[in-house]
Amino acid sequence: MSRRQKVPKARAADTTTVVVLRLYIAGGAPNSLQAIANLEAICHEYLQDVHKLEVIDVLEHPRRAMAEGVLVTPSLAKLSPLPAANVIGNLSDRAKVLLALGLAPNSRKRPA
Amino acid sequence: MSLQSALLQLTKGGPEQQAIDAGEIDAIVDYSSSNVILFPAARRALHASGSSLLAALPGAEYRQLLVGLEPVTLKLGQVLHEPAVPIRYIYFPVGCVVSLMTTVADGKAVEVGLVGYEGIVGLALGLGAAASSVRAVVAASGAALRIEAARFRSTLPQCPSLQQELYRHTDAMLAQARQTIACNCFHLSDARLARWLLMTSDRAQSQELFLTQSFLATMLGLRRVTVTEIAGRLWRRKLISCGRGRIRILDRPGLEAAACRCYSRIERQQLSG
Repeated sequence: MSRRQKVPKARAADTTTVVVLRLYIAGGAPNSLQAIANLEAICHEYLQDVHKLEVIDVLEHPRRAMAEGVLVTPSLAKLSPLPAANVIGNLSDRAKVLLALGLAPNSRKRPA
Repeated sequence: MSLQSALLQLTKGGPEQQAIDAGEIDAIVDYSSSNVILFPAARRALHASGSSLLAALPGAEYRQLLVGLEPVTLKLGQVLHEPAVPIRYIYFPVGCVVSLMTTVADGKAVEVGLVGYEGIVGLALGLGAAASSVRAVVAASGAALRIEAARFRSTLPQCPSLQQELYRHTDAMLAQARQTIACNCFHLSDARLARWLLMTSDRAQSQELFLTQSFLATMLGLRRVTVTEIAGRLWRRKLISCGRGRIRILDRPGLEAAACRCYSRIERQQLSG
C-alpha cells in the first residue's frame, strides 16, 4: 500500500485564513497613531484581504481593555489563527510584528 | 492613582516596561482604580485635538508638529507678540482667546481680530514675515500649545496641509478685520460690545468670560464709563450679568439680536470653516 504523500497545503491555506487582530490605542496620542499607521502598512502589504482588524480606544472603553487584560497602549493582539500573540508598543519594529503575526518577511508580500 | 504607582503594577524588565523605556507607550491601564493614565506626551497630544486647526491636519503632519509643541496656560492681558518685534512662538489656542490689536502712535490700540480654538496666533510667520503688524493680547485665559518660531519655520515646508490651513485662516482673519473696520465705523457701541461678547464666548466655548470692564473698553477702543453704561443696559434687558471681573451671557438669542449683523457674518465664515 503506497502511502499517499501529503501535499503541503499550508501555503494555500494561509492565503485564505483570516488573521484576526485587535489593536488597543489611546485616542489620537502619537504612539497610538503611529501604531495604526504601521499596522495598516503591514496589513496592506502582507494581509490585504485576509485580515480583520478591530481598533479599540481604551480611553472610551477602559473596562473592555481591563476585561481583555490590556496593560498598556498601544498594544496589538493577534487572536486568530492560533497561537495568539501580543506586540507592545508603536509597532515600528516591523520584524517583531511580522514574527508575532506568523509572517516571514517577504513571504506573502503583495507584488508591487 | 498616579502614573508612578500605576507603573509599579508592571513586571520589571517585561515587554511593557521595555516599550515604556523606548518611549513607545501612550497610556497605562490602572486596574486598581479602573482608570487609564496617560503619559505626559500623550496628554499633550490629546490636548492638541482641542485646536480645530491642528485636529484638521493629517496624521503624519500632526505628529511632525506635535514633537515641538509645548502646552502653556495663558493669562488675561498677557502680550504674546508686539508689532514689528520678531515673533518668538506660534500659539494654537485650545481654551483661551487672543485679541489682535492695531496700535496707533499715541499708544492707543483697537481690536482687529479675535482668535480661538479655530486658529493660530503668529500667522505672519507662516506667511514668510518675521514679525506681525499687530499686538496679540490674551482676551480670555486658558490653555494653548506653542511652538518655537524657528522650529515652526523649518517644519512648515514639509506640511502642505498645515500651509493650506494657514492660508484658509489668513483669509478668514482678513475678512474678520475688514468686517471689524466697517463695524467700528458704522455701528453703535452697544451692538459692537454685544458682538464682541458673543465672538469671545464662541471662541472660549464658555458663556462666562473673566475680564474687567476696563479691559473690554481697551479692546473696543471705548471709554471705560461707556462700557459700564452699555453693560448696565444689557444687564437691565437680562441679556448678561456682570460681577467683579466677570461677565456671563444669560440670554444668547437676545444678545445676538442686540449685536450687529457683523457677528453672524464673521462667525458664518470663520467658525463654520
